Amino acid sequence: MRAVTRREFLRASGAGLASAALLGVVGCGGQQGGTGGGPIRIGALYPVSGVLALLGEESFRGADIARRQRNNNGGIAGSEIEYVRADVPEPNVARSEAERLVSQERLQLLIGTYSSTLALTASEVAARRGVNYFELGAISDEFTDRGYDTVYRTNPPAREFAASQVRFIEEWLASQLGKKPSEFRLAIAHEDSDYGTSVAQDIRNEADPVGLNIVSVEPYDAEASDLTPVVLRVKKSNPDTVIAVSYAQDAILLSRQAQQQDLGAPIFGTGGGHSLQTFIDTVGEAGDGVFNVDFTQYEVNKQFTPGLQEFVDSYKQAYDSDPKSGHSLANFFGANIVFDILEEAKGSLESDRVGKAVNAYTVKQGTTATGWGVDFDENGQNTSAQPFVMQWRDGNLVTVYPEEAAVMEPKLVGSSG
Amino acid sequence: MKHRSSLLLALAALLVLAVVPVFVRGIFIQGIFISIFFYTGLTAAWNIPVFGGKLSLGQAGFFGLGAYTAAILYVDYGIVPWIGAFAAILVALLGALVLTPSLILLRGPFFTLASLAFAEVLRLVAIYWRGLTGGSTGISIPFEPGWQNLTFETNVPFYYISLMLAATSVGISYTIYRRAFGYHLRAAASDEEAAQALGINTSRSHVVAFLWSAGITGMLGAFYAFYLYTLEPNTFFSLALFSLQPALNGIIGGMGTVWGPVLGSAVMTPLAEFLRIYLGDVQEGLNFLIYGLVLILVVQTIPGGIVSVLSRLSRRLGFRSEEASAKRGNDK
Amino acid sequence: MIELIAQVIVAGILLGGVFALIASGLNIIFGVVRIINFAHGELVMLGMYATFFLHSIWGIDPYLSILAVAPALFLVGVIVQRLVIQPILDASAISKIFATVGLSLVLMNFALILFGGDFRSVRTSYSDSTIGIGPINVNIPRLIAFVVALVLFAGLYSLLRYTFIGKAFQAVAEDRSTAQLMGIRVERLYLLAFGLGAALAGVAGALLMPFATVYPTVGISYTLIAFVVVVLGGLGNMTGTLLGGLIIGLTDSFSATFLSPSLSTATYFVLFVVVLLVRPSGLFGKGKGTEEVGLR
Repeated sequence: MRAVTRREFLRASGAGLASAALLGVVGCGGQQGGTGGGPIRIGALYPVSGVLALLGEESFRGADIARRQRNNNGGIAGSEIEYVRADVPEPNVARSEAERLVSQERLQLLIGTYSSTLALTASEVAARRGVNYFELGAISDEFTDRGYDTVYRTNPPAREFAASQVRFIEEWLASQLGKKPSEFRLAIAHEDSDYGTSVAQDIRNEADPVGLNIVSVEPYDAEASDLTPVVLRVKKSNPDTVIAVSYAQDAILLSRQAQQQDLGAPIFGTGGGHSLQTFIDTVGEAGDGVFNVDFTQYEVNKQFTPGLQEFVDSYKQAYDSDPKSGHSLANFFGANIVFDILEEAKGSLESDRVGKAVNAYTVKQGTTATGWGVDFDENGQNTSAQPFVMQWRDGNLVTVYPEEAAVMEPKLVGSSG
Repeated sequence: MKHRSSLLLALAALLVLAVVPVFVRGIFIQGIFISIFFYTGLTAAWNIPVFGGKLSLGQAGFFGLGAYTAAILYVDYGIVPWIGAFAAILVALLGALVLTPSLILLRGPFFTLASLAFAEVLRLVAIYWRGLTGGSTGISIPFEPGWQNLTFETNVPFYYISLMLAATSVGISYTIYRRAFGYHLRAAASDEEAAQALGINTSRSHVVAFLWSAGITGMLGAFYAFYLYTLEPNTFFSLALFSLQPALNGIIGGMGTVWGPVLGSAVMTPLAEFLRIYLGDVQEGLNFLIYGLVLILVVQTIPGGIVSVLSRLSRRLGFRSEEASAKRGNDK
Repeated sequence: MIELIAQVIVAGILLGGVFALIASGLNIIFGVVRIINFAHGELVMLGMYATFFLHSIWGIDPYLSILAVAPALFLVGVIVQRLVIQPILDASAISKIFATVGLSLVLMNFALILFGGDFRSVRTSYSDSTIGIGPINVNIPRLIAFVVALVLFAGLYSLLRYTFIGKAFQAVAEDRSTAQLMGIRVERLYLLAFGLGAALAGVAGALLMPFATVYPTVGISYTLIAFVVVVLGGLGNMTGTLLGGLIIGLTDSFSATFLSPSLSTATYFVLFVVVLLVRPSGLFGKGKGTEEVGLR
C-alpha cells in the first residue's frame, strides 16, 4: 500500500456555486448520485428524535460542518456534496429509511448513525445491496467483525476504549495507587444496553492478559432512580478503581451516590455521560479527578489535532453554542475521510472503486482534527484511531494520555474521584 | 348476504395485493406494505380477546418470545425457521398460560396492567440473560439467502409471506367471530354474569381466545425476526411497537370488529411513515407530536373507529342496514 | 452485613417515598376520573422542567418553586381534562387510555421541541449532603422528599376523609350516575381531580430535581412505576399508595443489592402481578365495586 499524504483541500477557482444543500429530499425517482455532473448525494442516517436525539443531532452537526467546509473548497472532483437526511430513532425505522434511501433515492453511499443498534441494521441493508456504508460514531465491535465488503467504520470500536483504559491503568494508574498490575483490583459498573455491555466485555478481554483482577461487574438500568445498590455492591468488592460505562443521568447519579456512600475508589468513565459538560456542572467537586476515555474532546494538544480549532469555530458560528460532545468532532473527521476517499476514487460512488480507494488511503496520527490516523483493515475498521484518556480538572475535561495528545499531566485527586 | 359479500371483497383485495409487487418494484414501498401486513396480523390477533372484552397490552411479550425462539434455534442450533416458527408458537402459548390466571382473576384495567408488566418483565429478562439472548447486544441473523433460511435478497418473498400471515390472522379472527365461540365471547363482553348464567364458561372462552392471540403473535414474531435480521430486546419486546401500536390500530380501525384491525393498520402504518419522512427533518419530534394529536382527535371524534364511519356511510347510502357489528357492547 | 442491610432498607424506604409521591397524583386521577393516564409521567416531567428553569433562570430553590409549579401544573391538569378527557368520558376505557397515549406523545415531543434533548440537572448547595445516622448515609434531598411525601399523604388522606370535596371524590369514584343524581357536578369534580393529580405530579417533579435528571423521555419509566404502585396499594386508597410505594421501593432496593441491579425492575413487576393474583383489588383495595373500572 503506498502511503498518501493527506490532501490539502482544493481551492475553489470560480467553479459555479451551487445553491445551499437541500434537506430531506423525498420522493419519486431520486437522481443518480455519482460522477459526471450533478451533485454527489450521500445518505445521512441519524436519530434526531426519540431517546437518542441529543447526541444523534450532535453527530449529524459534525458531518454537516464537514460537508459545508468541503463544498466551500470545491467539493469532490468538482461536484457539490449533498446530504439526503433520514431520521432513524429506532432499528426498524433505520431499516426502512436505509431501504428508502437506497431504492427511492438511489443513493450509493450512506453515513451515520451514532448508535450501534441502528448502525447494525442500517448497514445490513447497505451490505446486502452492495451499497457503501461508512459508520462515523457507533462503537460496537460486532459492526465490523461481521466483515462485510462495503461496510466501513472510521471511528475506534469499543475494544479500543477498553484497550486505552487498560493501558493507562497499567502504565500510570496502578503505580500511582501503589499497586502492581497483578495486584490491581478493578470493578466495572455498566449500564445494561448494548453500549455498556459490549464495553464491559471488552474490558474483561483486555484486562486478562495484563493480569488486572476484575473483582466485580455490575450491570444496571441507565434510567434507574437510585444507584445505591450498585455502589454498595461495588464497594463490597473493595476495588482500586471503578470503570463506569454510563449514559448522562446515570453517570451523574453514580458519582453523587458514590460520594454519598464513601465509595473510596477513583471512577474511570468510558465516554457517554462522563464526557458531557452537564456531568461536571451537576456533580461539581465529586466529579473532579474522574478519568474518562472517549473520542477526542476539545481540551487536547492542538499540535496533535490540526483543524480542531477551526471546527470548533465553525460549530459556534453555525449553531450558536459550543460543541456538546466529541461526537460532532468524530463525525467531522469521519465525513472528511469519506470525502477524501471519494476524491481518491475520482468522485465515483461505485463500491469497487470506493473499496480500492479505501485500501489505498492511509493517514498518520496527529495530522487530523481528532488526532486519529486512518488505516482500514480487511473488515473495514479503521485501526489507526485511538481514544485518548482524559480527566476532569477544575470543571474542564482535559486530555492527559497519551503524551502526544495531552495538555496536562494526569493527577490523582482526592480519593473518591 | 353481508358475510358472503365481505368475504368476496376480502378475496378480491387479496388478489389485487398479490399482483402489486409486479408493478411496485421499490424495496422501500414494498417494505411499507410488509409493515402494513405484519401490523394487520398483529392487530387482528390482539383483537381476538377483545371480542370478549379483554384488553391486553402484553402482546410485545409474545412477539418477542416467538422472535427469539426462532432466531436462537436457527443461529445456535441450525434449525430451519419454518420449523422454528412452530416452536415459536409453542413458546408463546406457554407464555400465555403464565398470564391466564391474571386473565381470569383480574378485571378490566387491572388485567391490562398485569399484561403490560408481563411484557416488561420479559424484556428485562432478555436484557439480563445474556447467555441465552445475547443481552442488549442481541442476535444477528447471518445473511445466507434461501427459502429454507427465510432470508432473501429482495423484499418480494417477504411481501407474500407477510400477506399470507396477515390473511391467516384475519381469517382466524373472522372464523372465531362467526362461530359459537365468538358469540360466547361477545356475550361475555356484554355482560359477563349473564353469560355465565346462560351456561357459558366465560373463563375458558377468554383463555382460548387469548391463546389464539398469543400463538398468532408468536408466529408473527418468528417471521419478523428473519425480516429485520437484527434482534435486540428493546425492539422485539418494545411496548410501543408491539403492544401499543396494534391496540392503537385496532381502536382507530374499530375495536372488536373483524375488519377494524385491517383498516386501522392500513391507515396508521403508512401515516406514521409519511409523517416521519416529511416532518422528520423539519423539526425533530414534530412527527410524533402530530401523530399524538391525530390520535387524540380520532379517539374524540370517531370512537367507534373507521368501521363505524363506514357503517354509517353505507347506511346513509342506502345499503342494507346491518346491525352494528361494531362492538357497542364494549363501550362504557 | 447488618450495616449493609440497614443501608439497603433506608435506601429502599427513601426510594419508596419518591415512588409514592409520583404515584399520588395518579391515584387521585385513576381513582376519581377512572382513566389509566399514560401521560402521568409526562406531568412529572413538566414539573421537573419547570423547576429546572425557575432555578437556572431566576435561581429559585426547587423547594420554593413548588409554590409556582403546583398551581401551574394544576392548570395544565384542568386543561388536559377539559380538552382531552371530557369529550370522551363515555367512550370505552381503551379509547380513553389511547387518548392519554396520544397526550403522552404530544407532551414528550413538545418538551423535545421546546427544550431540546439535553439532560438537565439542578445543583444546589445541599444536593449531595448526607446525614450520617450511625454507619448509614442518608442523602438529604431524598430525605426531604420522603418527609414531604408523608406530609402530603396525610393531607390527602384528611382531604378525602374529612372534607366534602373528598367525599364527593369518593362518591363519584364509586358510582358516577348516582353521584350525579345526588347533585354532584361531576364534570367540575373531574376537572378538580385531574388538576389536583397533575399538581401532585408537579410537586413530585420539584422534589425530584435536586437529585434527579430531566430529559424529554424521562416520564416513561415514572408512568409505569406509578401504575404499579397505585394498583398494588389498592385503587383509590391513599394509604395504600403510600404503602405500595414503600413496598416497591424496598423490593427494588433489596433485589438490586442481593440479586442484581439489572433485575430490580423485573422483580417488582413480578411481585406486582403475584400480589394482584392473590388480592385482585390490591393490597388495601376497598373491595368489590372499586375494581370495576372496566369496560362497561
